Amino acid sequence: MMKKEFGPFFEPKNVAVIGASATPGRPGNDVIRNILANEYRGAIYLVNPKGGEILGLPVLPSIANLPDGVELAIIILSAKDTPQALRACAEKGIRHAVLSAGGFAEVDQGVKIQEELVEIVREKKLRVIGPNTSGHTSTPHQFTSTFFPLGKIRRGTVSYIAQTGNFATHTMKYILTGEHFGVSRVIGLGNKIDMDESDALEYLADDPETSAIVMYLESIKRPRKFLEIAREVTRRKPVVMLKSGSTEAGRHAAVAHTAAMAAEDRLIDAMLRQAGVVRIWDYTHLILAGKALSMLPLPKGNRVSFLAPSGAMLVVLSDLCVRLGLDVPEVEPATVQRLHDISPPFIRMRNPVDIWASASVRGVEFGYREGMEAVLKDPNIDAVVPILMLTEDTGIPSYDFILDLKKRYSDKPLIVTFSADKKYMDECKNYLEPLGVPTFPEIEQPFEVLSILYRCAKAMNRPE
Amino acid sequence: MMNLLKEAMAKGRATLSEYDSKRFLSCFDIPVCREGLAENPDSAAAEARKIGYPIVLKACGADLAHKTEVGGIALNLKNIRDVRKEGLRLMKIRGCEALLVQEMVKGARELVCGLTRDPQLGPCVMFGLGGVFTEVLDDVAFRIAPLTLGDAREMIGEIRARKILDPFRGEAAIDQEILGHVLVSLGRIGLEYENVAAIDINPLKVRPDGKPVAVDALVVLRKER
Repeated sequence: MMKKEFGPFFEPKNVAVIGASATPGRPGNDVIRNILANEYRGAIYLVNPKGGEILGLPVLPSIANLPDGVELAIIILSAKDTPQALRACAEKGIRHAVLSAGGFAEVDQGVKIQEELVEIVREKKLRVIGPNTSGHTSTPHQFTSTFFPLGKIRRGTVSYIAQTGNFATHTMKYILTGEHFGVSRVIGLGNKIDMDESDALEYLADDPETSAIVMYLESIKRPRKFLEIAREVTRRKPVVMLKSGSTEAGRHAAVAHTAAMAAEDRLIDAMLRQAGVVRIWDYTHLILAGKALSMLPLPKGNRVSFLAPSGAMLVVLSDLCVRLGLDVPEVEPATVQRLHDISPPFIRMRNPVDIWASASVRGVEFGYREGMEAVLKDPNIDAVVPILMLTEDTGIPSYDFILDLKKRYSDKPLIVTFSADKKYMDECKNYLEPLGVPTFPEIEQPFEVLSILYRCAKAMNRPE
Repeated sequence: MMNLLKEAMAKGRATLSEYDSKRFLSCFDIPVCREGLAENPDSAAAEARKIGYPIVLKACGADLAHKTEVGGIALNLKNIRDVRKEGLRLMKIRGCEALLVQEMVKGARELVCGLTRDPQLGPCVMFGLGGVFTEVLDDVAFRIAPLTLGDAREMIGEIRARKILDPFRGEAAIDQEILGHVLVSLGRIGLEYENVAAIDINPLKVRPDGKPVAVDALVVLRKER
C-alpha cells in the first residue's frame, strides 16, 4: 500500500480557514491569531459568508471563491455544517483538511454526521485530521491550526501525538508559560476518521524534525499496524506513551469522551512492550518526558549517582531508585577518595553522596561542583542528579559551574533538583533550562525521568 | 496433521481430545510427554508396560476438556492391578472414549502457555506460572503473534516468579531455548491455522534436567458459522 501523504498538514504552502470569525474569543478568530502569532509564511485565505476583513486579512464569501491550489483547509464550523464544507473544499481541489468541530461519535446525534464525513473522505480521497480535534502544530514550518489562544509556540525537537483536546490547548499553554522546552509537531487526533495514531507515528518516524515522540492515546485503532510501525521506529527514536482507559472505570470514561473503544489492557500492554514503546502512567510524565527528551542524552545504563544535603533524602531517594529500576552503585576508590578530599574528615563518603558537610564548610558551589565532577567522571555512573541546596544562609552559588559540567560530560544526563528557597529554585530553573539543563522542583522527578530515559535506551538497543 | 483438525471440524467438535491436541502440537516441535491411547483397561496395561511404571491414566475424549473436575485423572499408578482398577473406573465417566496412558513426568515446576485470539490484536501467546493455581497466581505475560525469539525471551523474563527459571531444589535451570521455541511455535500456529481458536498447555512441566514438556494440552476449535 502506498504511504499516505500527510506532508501538507505540516508544511502547507497556503491555508484556508473555513468559518473565520471577526469576533475575538471565537475559535474561528483565535485560530487566525495563532497562525499570525506563529509568523506563518504561506498565504492565508479566510472564508465567511459575511465577507469583509478580519485582523487585516480580506474575507472571501464562500469556498467557491477560493483560488485554485489551496493545500490545506481548517474547517472550524459546527458539526452539522462540516460535511457540506468538506465537500465544497474537495470540489475546489483541496485534499487536506483539519476538522475542528466536536459533537460527533461521542454524542448520539453526531454519529450520522461523522459517518457522512467518512464517506466524503473515502469518495474524494481526502486526508483529514479530526473531527473533534483541537488542531495540530508544526513549529519548523511556523504553522498551527490550533484554535486555543497559544500565541507563538516554541520550537523544539520532540513531537506529540495526543488523542485529547487538552494536550494541544491547556497542556501546551503550561509548557509555553511554565517550561522552557519547545515542540516540533503536535497532532491532536480527535475522532480519527482518517489520520490515526499509526499514520501519525509513521509520519514522525521519518520526520527529520522529530527526535523523539510522546503520545497520549485512549484507543488504538489498528493495533497490529501500530505494532508493525512502532517496532521499527522505536529502534531509531524514543517513543513514550500514556495509554489511558486501562481500568474498567477508565474505559467507560473513554467511550463517553472521544468515542474510544479500548481493547483489553493486558494485551495492549504486551503489544507496547513488544513494540519497544515506553509506557508511562501519569499525565504529568507527558510533560516531564518531553522536557527530558528535549534536553538530555539517553543514559548508557541505569546507574545513578545523586548528591543530597540531607540524610533523609539519601535514604528515601535510594529506595525510590530501587522502585524505579535504577541502580545506585558503589563508585571507584579514586572517586571515594576525591569525595573525602572535599569534605571535612568526620564524614564517611560514598554513593549516594552526602554533600551537606562539604557544601556548608567549604561553600555550596565548591561542594557541589567538586562532588558532581567526581561522580560524573566515574565509569560506574551513567547519570547524575544534584539536589541543590539554595538558601541565602549558606549562599547562592553561581549556576555557571553546572553548565560547565554539562558541557564537559555531555554524554551523561545531568538533572538538577532543589532543596530550600523557592525564589532561587525559580531563578536557577529560568537560568539553566534555556541553556539546556533541565530542572525539576520535586526531588523525585529527576529519578522518574531517568527511569523513563533508561527504558527508552533499553528499547532502542533491544535485541531483535 | 491437517486431518486432525479437518476431521474434528467435520464432526462438529469444539475441541481436540488431549491425545490429538498433543499430536497436533508435536508437529510444531513442541515437546510432549510419552503417551499412548488404549481402548480398554487391558490394552492400557500393555501400554503402561511399554512406557514404564509409574504411569498416569486419564479419561480421554473430545468433549472432556476439564478432566480434573470429573475425577478423570489417576496419578502415579505403579502396577498392572492399579491400571486395571482405575481404567475400569475412568471408562465409566461420561464422555470417556478411550484411556490415555502417560509417563509420570518428574519435576517440581509447572508452567503454562497458550494461544488466544483478540478481535483487534489477532493471535496472542501467553506464558506464565502453571498448574492448578494458574488463575489464582495470575502470573502471566502475553505477546502478539508472530513472536521473534527475542519476544519470547523477553516475555519469559517478565513474570513475577522469574526465579523459577533458575536452578531449583536440585533441578536444573529451565532450558529457555526450548521454551522460547514453544512460544514462537504457538504464535505460528495462531497465524497459520485459522481453525484453531485457542490452545492451553497446562501444565507444561519442567523435567529435573530443565527440559519443558507438555503434560496436558487442549486445542479449542473455531465454531463453524
